[in-house]
Amino acid sequence: MSIKEILKGIEMFDGLTDSDLESVAAVCRPRQFQEGDVVAEQHSPGVEMFIIEDGFVEVVVDNSDDAARKVIVNLGSGQTVGEMSLVDQGPRSATVRAISSPTVVQVVSQADFERLCDENSRIGYVVMRNIAADLSFRLRQRLMSDKRG
Amino acid sequence: MAVYKVSVVVSGGGNYPGAILNLKQEPKVGDVIKLGAEDFVITEVLQLMPPRGDFHFLHVTCRPKAD
Repeated sequence: MSIKEILKGIEMFDGLTDSDLESVAAVCRPRQFQEGDVVAEQHSPGVEMFIIEDGFVEVVVDNSDDAARKVIVNLGSGQTVGEMSLVDQGPRSATVRAISSPTVVQVVSQADFERLCDENSRIGYVVMRNIAADLSFRLRQRLMSDKRG
Repeated sequence: MAVYKVSVVVSGGGNYPGAILNLKQEPKVGDVIKLGAEDFVITEVLQLMPPRGDFHFLHVTCRPKAD
């Protein structure tokens, strides 16, 4: 399957034209991980976003106050990780680790993402709107998880 | 091409933290889904948010699949 076809199934890119998707596909770089590999480290600079093409990752928060390590959520195909760093340019809020082999991700650098949005404001608007919708979904998912507990 | 973005919560699943993933087929009660290395049986399906375009937003509750 082409990267463009993969991107069509990612909510973050919903609403983009074929031409827009080709522009995004051009800045995607595939990367493969094995179970246990760290995809992104908590507190490190967030300079890349990851699109999970295949496999699963766990999102883990290490709380220095109580030395507790907590898995917040597992994310599978079609999900994105690290997009907040593209928005706020802050450090990683969690560690992301592959929990299946292989886990295949498409990587978009912050520099490429910003250039893309600068060159095509429509891409920037649609992607930002979709990031907001995804955050809303995750908040609702979190509330449902907490209700269970 | 419909895409089902699914929030998963496991009841009676010990420490399983829950998951979010995209499915190409609509999940139904009784279906088995694989989350990482483990299999789970769906016991409940709810709409989490209204659909937008090809994307449907669902919440499913699961239990670990007995071997």
